[in-house]
Amino acid sequence: MVYRRCLQLLQDDAEASDLMQDVFLRIYSATERLDLESPSSLLWNTATRLCLNRIRDKRRRGLDVDSSSLLLNIACAEDECDDYETKSKLAKFFSKEPESSRTMAVLHFVDGMTLEETAREVGLSVSGVRKRLRGLQAKVKTLEVK
Amino acid sequence: MIPDWKLERFLTGDLPDEEMNMLRELEATDVVFASRVKMLREDNKAILNKLPFETLAGKLADVPETADVLETANVANSAEHANAARIAPRFTLMKFAAAAMLIFAVALIAFMVQRETVVAGGNAAGNSDDVAAVNGSQITQVAFAETQSDTRIKGLDARMEVWKKTDTGIVQLQDLDEVREGDEIQLRYAVPEKCFGLLFSMDGNGALTLHMGDGVKAIELTPGKMNSLPFAYKLDDAPYFEKFFFVTSPREFAVEENDVDKLLKRSDVKVIGFTLKKAGK
Repeated sequence: MVYRRCLQLLQDDAEASDLMQDVFLRIYSATERLDLESPSSLLWNTATRLCLNRIRDKRRRGLDVDSSSLLLNIACAEDECDDYETKSKLAKFFSKEPESSRTMAVLHFVDGMTLEETAREVGLSVSGVRKRLRGLQAKVKTLEVK
Repeated sequence: MIPDWKLERFLTGDLPDEEMNMLRELEATDVVFASRVKMLREDNKAILNKLPFETLAGKLADVPETADVLETANVANSAEHANAARIAPRFTLMKFAAAAMLIFAVALIAFMVQRETVVAGGNAAGNSDDVAAVNGSQITQVAFAETQSDTRIKGLDARMEVWKKTDTGIVQLQDLDEVREGDEIQLRYAVPEKCFGLLFSMDGNGALTLHMGDGVKAIELTPGKMNSLPFAYKLDDAPYFEKFFFVTSPREFAVEENDVDKLLKRSDVKVIGFTLKKAGK
Protein backbone atom coordinates (compact mmCIF):
# COMPACT_ATOMS: atom_id res chain seq x y z
CA MET A 1 0.00 0.00 0.00
CA VAL A 2 2.72 2.47 0.96
CA TYR A 3 4.84 1.71 -2.06
CA ARG A 4 1.86 1.96 -4.38
CA ARG A 5 0.86 5.27 -2.83
CA CYS A 6 4.34 6.70 -3.28
CA LEU A 7 4.51 5.43 -6.83
CA GLN A 8 1.12 6.92 -7.63
CA LEU A 9 2.16 10.38 -6.45
CA LEU A 10 5.80 10.40 -7.54
CA GLN A 11 5.54 8.39 -10.74
CA ASP A 12 9.06 7.13 -10.19
CA ASP A 13 9.94 3.65 -9.06
CA ALA A 14 13.24 4.48 -7.37
CA GLU A 15 11.83 7.49 -5.57
CA ALA A 16 8.81 5.49 -4.47
CA SER A 17 11.07 2.84 -2.94
CA ASP A 18 13.08 5.53 -1.22
CA LEU A 19 10.05 7.34 0.16
CA MET A 20 8.50 4.11 1.31
CA GLN A 21 11.46 3.60 3.61
CA ASP A 22 11.11 7.15 4.88
CA VAL A 23 7.49 6.50 5.71
CA PHE A 24 8.30 3.54 7.92
CA LEU A 25 11.20 5.32 9.53
CA ARG A 26 9.10 8.38 10.32
CA ILE A 27 6.35 6.32 11.79
CA TYR A 28 8.74 4.30 13.85
CA SER A 29 10.55 7.39 15.09
CA ALA A 30 7.33 9.02 16.20
CA THR A 31 5.74 5.94 17.71
CA GLU A 32 5.06 7.59 21.05
CA ARG A 33 3.04 10.30 19.40
CA LEU A 34 1.21 8.12 16.96
CA ASP A 35 -2.49 7.89 16.72
CA LEU A 36 -2.72 4.18 16.00
CA GLU A 37 -6.46 4.03 15.73
CA SER A 38 -6.19 3.55 12.01
CA PRO A 39 -2.79 2.31 10.86
CA SER A 40 -3.78 2.38 7.21
CA SER A 41 -4.72 6.05 7.43
CA LEU A 42 -1.47 6.75 9.19
CA LEU A 43 0.57 5.06 6.48
CA TRP A 44 -1.46 6.59 3.68
CA ASN A 45 -1.34 10.13 5.04
CA THR A 46 2.31 9.90 5.96
CA ALA A 47 3.19 8.71 2.49
CA THR A 48 1.09 11.52 1.03
CA ARG A 49 2.76 14.16 3.15
CA LEU A 50 6.27 12.98 2.39
CA CYS A 51 5.56 12.69 -1.30
CA LEU A 52 4.19 16.23 -1.36
CA ASN A 53 7.34 17.43 0.36
CA ARG A 54 9.45 15.58 -2.18
CA ILE A 55 7.53 17.03 -5.11
CA ARG A 56 7.76 20.54 -3.70
CA ASP A 57 11.44 20.15 -3.00
CA LYS A 58 12.17 18.97 -6.52
CA ARG A 59 10.19 21.83 -7.95
CA ARG A 60 12.09 24.36 -5.87
CA ARG A 61 15.34 22.91 -7.10
CA GLY A 62 14.16 23.29 -10.63
CA LEU A 63 14.09 19.56 -11.27
CA ASP A 64 11.60 17.90 -13.54
CA VAL A 65 8.53 16.66 -11.75
CA ASP A 66 6.44 14.03 -13.41
CA SER A 67 3.24 14.82 -11.56
CA SER A 68 -0.11 16.13 -12.63
CA SER A 69 -0.51 19.87 -12.56
CA LEU A 70 -3.15 19.55 -9.87
CA LEU A 71 -0.83 17.60 -7.61
CA LEU A 72 2.00 19.95 -8.40
CA ASN A 73 -0.11 22.96 -7.49
CA ILE A 74 -1.17 21.40 -4.23
CA ALA A 75 2.34 20.34 -3.35
CA CYS A 76 3.73 23.79 -3.98
CA ALA A 77 0.89 25.71 -2.37
CA GLU A 78 1.75 27.78 0.65
CA ASP A 79 0.10 26.21 3.64
CA GLU A 80 -0.16 28.59 6.54
CA CYS A 81 -0.63 25.72 8.91
CA ASP A 82 2.56 24.10 7.66
CA ASP A 83 4.48 27.32 8.02
CA TYR A 84 3.19 28.01 11.47
CA GLU A 85 4.00 24.52 12.66
CA THR A 86 7.42 24.61 11.16
CA LYS A 87 8.38 27.99 12.56
CA SER A 88 7.10 27.32 16.02
CA LYS A 89 8.34 23.77 16.02
CA LEU A 90 5.04 22.71 17.41
CA ALA A 91 4.51 20.13 14.77
CA LYS A 92 3.45 16.91 16.29
CA PHE A 93 4.06 14.64 13.43
CA PHE A 94 1.50 11.89 13.11
CA SER A 95 -0.19 12.97 16.27
CA LYS A 96 -3.80 13.94 16.57
CA GLU A 97 -2.90 17.39 15.40
CA PRO A 98 -4.70 18.14 12.13
CA GLU A 99 -3.03 17.02 8.96
CA SER A 100 -1.68 19.72 6.71
CA SER A 101 -4.12 21.36 4.35
CA ARG A 102 -2.06 20.08 1.44
CA THR A 103 -2.56 16.49 2.55
CA MET A 104 -6.26 17.11 2.94
CA ALA A 105 -6.33 18.59 -0.53
CA VAL A 106 -4.78 15.46 -2.01
CA LEU A 107 -7.21 13.23 -0.15
CA HIS A 108 -10.15 15.25 -1.40
CA PHE A 109 -9.11 16.34 -4.87
CA VAL A 110 -6.80 13.55 -5.97
CA ASP A 111 -8.08 10.53 -4.07
CA GLY A 112 -11.69 11.55 -4.48
CA MET A 113 -12.64 11.35 -0.83
CA THR A 114 -15.77 13.25 0.08
CA LEU A 115 -15.48 16.02 2.62
CA GLU A 116 -16.96 13.66 5.19
CA GLU A 117 -14.43 10.97 4.39
CA THR A 118 -11.59 13.46 4.42
CA ALA A 119 -12.77 14.81 7.76
CA ARG A 120 -12.90 11.33 9.21
CA GLU A 121 -9.49 10.59 7.78
CA VAL A 122 -7.80 13.55 9.40
CA GLY A 123 -9.85 13.78 12.56
CA LEU A 124 -11.43 17.14 11.87
CA SER A 125 -15.01 18.29 11.46
CA VAL A 126 -16.39 18.63 7.95
CA SER A 127 -16.59 22.38 8.40
CA GLY A 128 -13.01 22.39 9.62
CA VAL A 129 -11.83 20.56 6.54
CA ARG A 130 -13.87 22.83 4.28
CA LYS A 131 -12.36 25.88 5.92
CA ARG A 132 -8.83 24.54 5.59
CA LEU A 133 -9.36 23.60 1.96
CA ARG A 134 -10.83 27.00 1.16
CA GLY A 135 -7.78 28.58 2.71
CA LEU A 136 -5.62 26.55 0.39
CA GLN A 137 -7.98 27.12 -2.49
CA ALA A 138 -7.06 30.77 -2.63
CA LYS A 139 -3.54 29.72 -3.46
CA VAL A 140 -4.49 26.99 -5.88
CA LYS A 141 -6.96 28.54 -8.24
CA THR A 142 -7.89 25.29 -9.92
CA LEU A 143 -9.40 23.81 -6.80
CA GLU A 144 -13.10 23.81 -6.15
CA VAL A 145 -14.26 22.71 -2.75
CA LYS A 146 -17.44 20.71 -3.22
CA MET B 1 -16.64 2.25 -8.25
CA ILE B 2 -14.71 1.61 -5.08
CA PRO B 3 -11.86 4.15 -4.91
CA ASP B 4 -8.29 2.92 -4.61
CA TRP B 5 -7.81 4.24 -1.11
CA LYS B 6 -10.80 2.29 0.12
CA LEU B 7 -9.62 -0.82 -1.66
CA GLU B 8 -6.27 -0.50 0.09
CA ARG B 9 -8.03 -0.24 3.43
CA PHE B 10 -10.05 -3.29 2.55
CA LEU B 11 -6.87 -5.22 1.85
CA THR B 12 -5.42 -4.30 5.20
CA GLY B 13 -8.69 -4.98 6.98
CA ASP B 14 -8.73 -1.43 8.28
CA LEU B 15 -12.25 -0.34 7.48
CA PRO B 16 -15.27 -0.17 9.76
CA ASP B 17 -16.94 -3.57 10.14
CA GLU B 18 -19.93 -2.56 8.10
CA GLU B 19 -17.82 -1.50 5.13
CA MET B 20 -15.60 -4.56 5.45
CA ASN B 21 -18.61 -6.82 5.27
CA MET B 22 -20.03 -4.92 2.34
CA LEU B 23 -16.79 -5.20 0.38
CA ARG B 24 -16.36 -8.87 1.25
CA GLU B 25 -19.79 -9.48 -0.16
CA LEU B 26 -18.91 -7.43 -3.21
CA GLU B 27 -15.74 -9.45 -3.72
CA ALA B 28 -17.79 -12.62 -3.66
CA THR B 29 -20.37 -11.38 -6.11
CA ASP B 30 -18.74 -8.80 -8.36
CA VAL B 31 -16.25 -10.23 -10.82
CA VAL B 32 -14.71 -6.87 -11.65
CA PHE B 33 -14.17 -5.92 -8.03
CA ALA B 34 -12.84 -9.40 -7.24
CA SER B 35 -10.39 -9.00 -10.09
CA ARG B 36 -9.15 -5.66 -8.73
CA VAL B 37 -8.66 -7.19 -5.31
CA LYS B 38 -6.82 -10.15 -6.80
CA MET B 39 -4.53 -7.88 -8.80
CA LEU B 40 -3.64 -5.84 -5.75
CA ARG B 41 -2.92 -8.94 -3.73
CA GLU B 42 -0.63 -10.20 -6.45
CA ASP B 43 0.97 -6.78 -6.60
CA ASN B 44 1.56 -6.95 -2.84
CA LYS B 45 3.42 -10.20 -3.30
CA ALA B 46 5.46 -8.78 -6.14
CA ILE B 47 6.38 -5.70 -4.09
CA LEU B 48 7.42 -7.82 -1.14
CA ASN B 49 9.54 -9.97 -3.43
CA LYS B 50 11.13 -6.92 -4.96
CA LEU B 51 11.54 -5.02 -1.71
CA PRO B 52 11.85 -7.67 0.99
CA PHE B 53 11.65 -6.37 4.49
CA GLU B 54 15.18 -7.60 5.23
CA THR B 55 16.52 -5.12 2.73
CA LEU B 56 14.45 -2.35 4.17
CA ALA B 57 15.38 -3.24 7.74
CA GLY B 58 19.05 -3.31 6.76
CA LYS B 59 18.81 0.13 5.25
CA LEU B 60 16.97 1.46 8.26
CA ALA B 61 19.81 0.30 10.44
CA ASP B 62 22.15 2.56 8.51
CA VAL B 63 19.94 5.61 8.70
CA PRO B 64 20.92 8.29 11.21
CA GLU B 65 18.60 9.15 14.03
CA THR B 66 15.96 11.46 12.71
CA ALA B 67 13.70 11.96 15.68
CA ASP B 68 14.73 15.60 16.01
CA VAL B 69 14.00 16.17 12.37
CA LEU B 70 10.47 15.03 12.95
CA GLU B 71 9.77 18.15 14.91
CA THR B 72 10.03 20.03 11.68
CA ALA B 73 8.51 17.39 9.54
CA ASN B 74 6.76 19.81 7.26
CA VAL B 75 9.84 21.48 5.92
CA ALA B 76 11.04 20.55 2.50
CA ASN B 77 13.04 17.39 2.12
CA SER B 78 16.22 19.25 1.37
CA ALA B 79 16.11 20.88 4.75
CA GLU B 80 15.27 17.58 6.37
CA HIS B 81 18.19 15.87 4.76
CA ALA B 82 20.50 18.65 5.79
CA ASN B 83 19.38 18.33 9.39
CA ALA B 84 19.63 14.56 9.31
CA ALA B 85 23.15 14.73 8.01
CA ARG B 86 24.20 16.81 10.98
CA ILE B 87 22.93 14.32 13.45
CA ALA B 88 25.41 11.64 14.34
CA PRO B 89 24.29 8.08 13.73
CA ARG B 90 22.56 6.96 16.87
CA PHE B 91 20.34 4.31 15.46
CA THR B 92 20.63 1.70 18.12
CA LEU B 93 20.12 -1.98 17.70
CA MET B 94 17.03 -1.81 19.85
CA LYS B 95 15.53 0.85 17.68
CA PHE B 96 16.40 -1.10 14.61
CA ALA B 97 14.66 -4.10 16.08
CA ALA B 98 11.60 -2.04 16.85
CA ALA B 99 11.58 -0.62 13.36
CA ALA B 100 11.80 -4.06 11.87
CA MET B 101 9.02 -5.16 14.17
CA LEU B 102 6.87 -2.40 12.86
CA ILE B 103 7.56 -3.45 9.32
CA PHE B 104 6.76 -6.99 10.27
CA ALA B 105 3.48 -5.84 11.66
CA VAL B 106 2.61 -3.97 8.51
CA ALA B 107 3.62 -6.88 6.33
CA LEU B 108 1.60 -9.07 8.57
CA ILE B 109 -1.49 -6.97 8.08
CA ALA B 110 -0.99 -7.17 4.34
CA PHE B 111 -0.68 -10.90 4.49
CA MET B 112 -3.54 -11.40 6.87
CA VAL B 113 -6.07 -10.71 4.21
CA GLN B 114 -4.33 -12.75 1.56
CA ARG B 115 -5.10 -16.03 3.13
CA GLU B 116 -7.84 -17.24 5.30
CA THR B 117 -6.72 -17.15 8.86
CA VAL B 118 -6.35 -20.54 10.36
CA VAL B 119 -6.75 -21.05 14.03
CA ALA B 120 -5.50 -24.17 15.65
CA GLY B 121 -8.44 -24.62 17.94
CA GLY B 122 -8.81 -26.44 21.17
CA ASN B 123 -6.74 -26.04 24.23
CA ALA B 124 -3.34 -25.97 22.64
CA ALA B 125 -1.49 -26.07 25.89
CA GLY B 126 -3.46 -29.02 27.05
CA ASN B 127 -3.27 -31.07 23.88
CA SER B 128 -1.79 -34.42 24.67
CA ASP B 129 -1.15 -35.70 21.16
CA ASP B 130 2.49 -36.35 20.46
CA VAL B 131 2.34 -34.71 17.06
CA ALA B 132 -0.47 -32.47 15.99
CA ALA B 133 -0.59 -31.00 12.52
CA VAL B 134 -1.40 -27.33 12.71
CA ASN B 135 -1.68 -25.45 9.50
CA GLY B 136 1.21 -27.27 7.96
CA SER B 137 3.31 -26.85 11.06
CA GLN B 138 3.64 -29.37 13.77
CA ILE B 139 3.37 -29.18 17.48
CA THR B 140 5.72 -31.82 18.78
CA GLN B 141 6.32 -33.10 22.22
CA VAL B 142 9.99 -32.69 22.96
CA ALA B 143 12.26 -32.68 25.89
CA PHE B 144 12.08 -29.02 26.63
CA ALA B 145 10.19 -29.68 29.80
CA GLU B 146 13.51 -30.10 31.53
CA THR B 147 14.17 -26.43 30.95
CA GLN B 148 11.55 -25.71 33.57
CA SER B 149 13.25 -23.81 36.30
CA ASP B 150 12.44 -22.15 39.53
CA THR B 151 13.36 -18.79 38.11
CA ARG B 152 11.27 -16.15 39.77
CA ILE B 153 9.97 -13.17 37.95
CA LYS B 154 11.93 -9.98 38.23
CA GLY B 155 10.17 -6.72 37.71
CA LEU B 156 6.49 -6.21 37.09
CA ASP B 157 6.06 -7.19 33.48
CA ALA B 158 5.00 -10.44 31.96
CA ARG B 159 7.77 -12.18 30.07
CA MET B 160 8.08 -14.57 27.20
CA GLU B 161 11.13 -16.53 26.18
CA VAL B 162 11.68 -18.32 22.92
CA TRP B 163 14.05 -21.25 22.71
CA LYS B 164 15.22 -23.42 19.85
CA LYS B 165 16.20 -27.03 19.90
CA THR B 166 19.60 -27.75 18.38
CA ASP B 167 21.68 -30.87 17.85
CA THR B 168 23.54 -30.18 21.03
CA GLY B 169 20.77 -28.89 23.22
CA ILE B 170 18.69 -25.78 23.33
CA VAL B 171 19.50 -22.13 22.84
CA GLN B 172 17.54 -19.08 23.82
CA LEU B 173 16.64 -16.93 20.85
CA GLN B 174 16.64 -13.17 20.72
CA ASP B 175 14.08 -11.02 18.99
CA LEU B 176 14.65 -11.00 15.22
CA ASP B 177 16.91 -14.04 15.28
CA GLU B 178 16.86 -16.14 12.16
CA VAL B 179 15.22 -19.54 12.05
CA ARG B 180 14.51 -22.14 9.41
CA GLU B 181 11.72 -24.42 8.37
CA GLY B 182 11.74 -27.46 10.61
CA ASP B 183 13.26 -25.71 13.62
CA GLU B 184 11.58 -26.67 16.85
CA ILE B 185 10.63 -23.72 18.96
CA GLN B 186 9.79 -23.83 22.63
CA LEU B 187 7.92 -21.02 24.31
CA ARG B 188 8.16 -20.06 27.97
CA TYR B 189 6.33 -17.39 29.87
CA ALA B 190 5.85 -15.88 33.28
CA VAL B 191 3.47 -13.33 34.69
CA PRO B 192 3.96 -11.11 37.74
CA GLU B 193 0.40 -11.36 38.96
CA LYS B 194 -2.73 -13.35 38.47
CA CYS B 195 -4.18 -12.59 35.07
CA PHE B 196 -5.55 -14.08 31.88
CA GLY B 197 -3.22 -14.92 29.03
CA LEU B 198 -3.14 -16.13 25.48
CA LEU B 199 -0.15 -17.08 23.39
CA PHE B 200 -0.37 -17.28 19.65
CA SER B 201 1.75 -16.71 16.59
CA MET B 202 1.30 -15.39 13.10
CA ASP B 203 3.44 -16.48 10.19
CA GLY B 204 4.34 -14.81 6.92
CA ASN B 205 1.34 -16.38 5.26
CA GLY B 206 -0.97 -14.71 7.71
CA ALA B 207 -1.80 -17.99 9.42
CA LEU B 208 -2.62 -17.74 13.09
CA THR B 209 -1.66 -20.54 15.44
CA LEU B 210 -2.71 -20.75 19.05
CA HIS B 211 -0.09 -22.11 21.41
CA MET B 212 -1.74 -21.50 24.73
CA GLY B 213 -5.36 -20.82 25.42
CA ASP B 214 -8.73 -22.41 25.76
CA GLY B 215 -9.58 -22.35 22.11
CA VAL B 216 -9.52 -18.67 21.29
CA LYS B 217 -10.11 -17.70 24.91
CA ALA B 218 -7.39 -16.65 27.32
CA ILE B 219 -6.71 -18.92 30.25
CA GLU B 220 -6.05 -17.93 33.81
CA LEU B 221 -2.37 -17.64 34.66
CA THR B 222 -0.79 -17.68 38.05
CA PRO B 223 2.29 -15.68 38.97
CA GLY B 224 5.54 -17.35 39.77
CA LYS B 225 8.22 -19.21 37.93
CA MET B 226 8.78 -19.47 34.21
CA ASN B 227 6.44 -21.96 32.60
CA SER B 228 7.29 -23.94 29.49
CA LEU B 229 4.50 -24.93 27.19
CA PRO B 230 4.20 -28.69 27.10
CA PHE B 231 4.81 -28.81 23.37
CA ALA B 232 7.40 -27.38 21.06
CA TYR B 233 6.35 -25.79 17.80
CA LYS B 234 7.88 -27.01 14.57
CA LEU B 235 8.14 -24.24 12.03
CA ASP B 236 6.63 -24.84 8.63
CA ASP B 237 7.63 -23.35 5.28
CA ALA B 238 5.77 -20.06 5.73
CA PRO B 239 7.93 -17.22 4.43
CA TYR B 240 9.40 -14.08 5.97
CA PHE B 241 8.70 -14.43 9.65
CA GLU B 242 7.00 -16.06 12.58
CA LYS B 243 5.79 -13.61 15.15
CA PHE B 244 4.72 -14.69 18.62
CA PHE B 245 2.29 -12.71 20.75
CA PHE B 246 1.92 -13.17 24.48
CA VAL B 247 -1.18 -11.23 25.46
CA THR B 248 -2.25 -10.75 29.06
CA SER B 249 -5.05 -8.90 30.76
CA PRO B 250 -6.57 -8.72 34.21
CA ARG B 251 -9.88 -9.55 32.55
CA GLU B 252 -11.01 -12.47 30.44
CA PHE B 253 -10.63 -12.02 26.72
CA ALA B 254 -10.46 -13.92 23.46
CA VAL B 255 -8.86 -13.42 20.10
CA GLU B 256 -10.97 -13.18 16.98
CA GLU B 257 -9.33 -15.27 14.32
CA ASN B 258 -10.07 -12.71 11.63
CA ASP B 259 -9.27 -9.63 13.64
CA VAL B 260 -6.15 -10.06 15.72
CA ASP B 261 -5.50 -6.36 15.44
CA LYS B 262 -8.64 -5.61 17.40
CA LEU B 263 -7.29 -7.52 20.38
CA LEU B 264 -3.83 -6.00 20.13
CA LYS B 265 -5.30 -2.49 20.13
CA ARG B 266 -7.31 -2.98 23.29
CA SER B 267 -6.22 -0.74 26.11
CA ASP B 268 -6.74 -3.38 28.78
CA VAL B 269 -4.30 -5.91 27.35
CA LYS B 270 -0.55 -6.05 27.45
CA VAL B 271 1.20 -7.50 24.46
CA ILE B 272 4.66 -8.97 24.26
CA GLY B 273 5.80 -9.59 20.71
CA PHE B 274 8.69 -11.71 19.57
CA THR B 275 9.62 -12.03 15.94
CA LEU B 276 11.74 -14.64 14.26
CA LYS B 277 12.97 -14.09 10.74
CA LYS B 278 12.73 -16.95 8.32
CA ALA B 279 16.07 -17.65 6.68
CA GLY B 280 16.15 -17.57 2.92
CA LYS B 281 12.55 -16.50 2.62
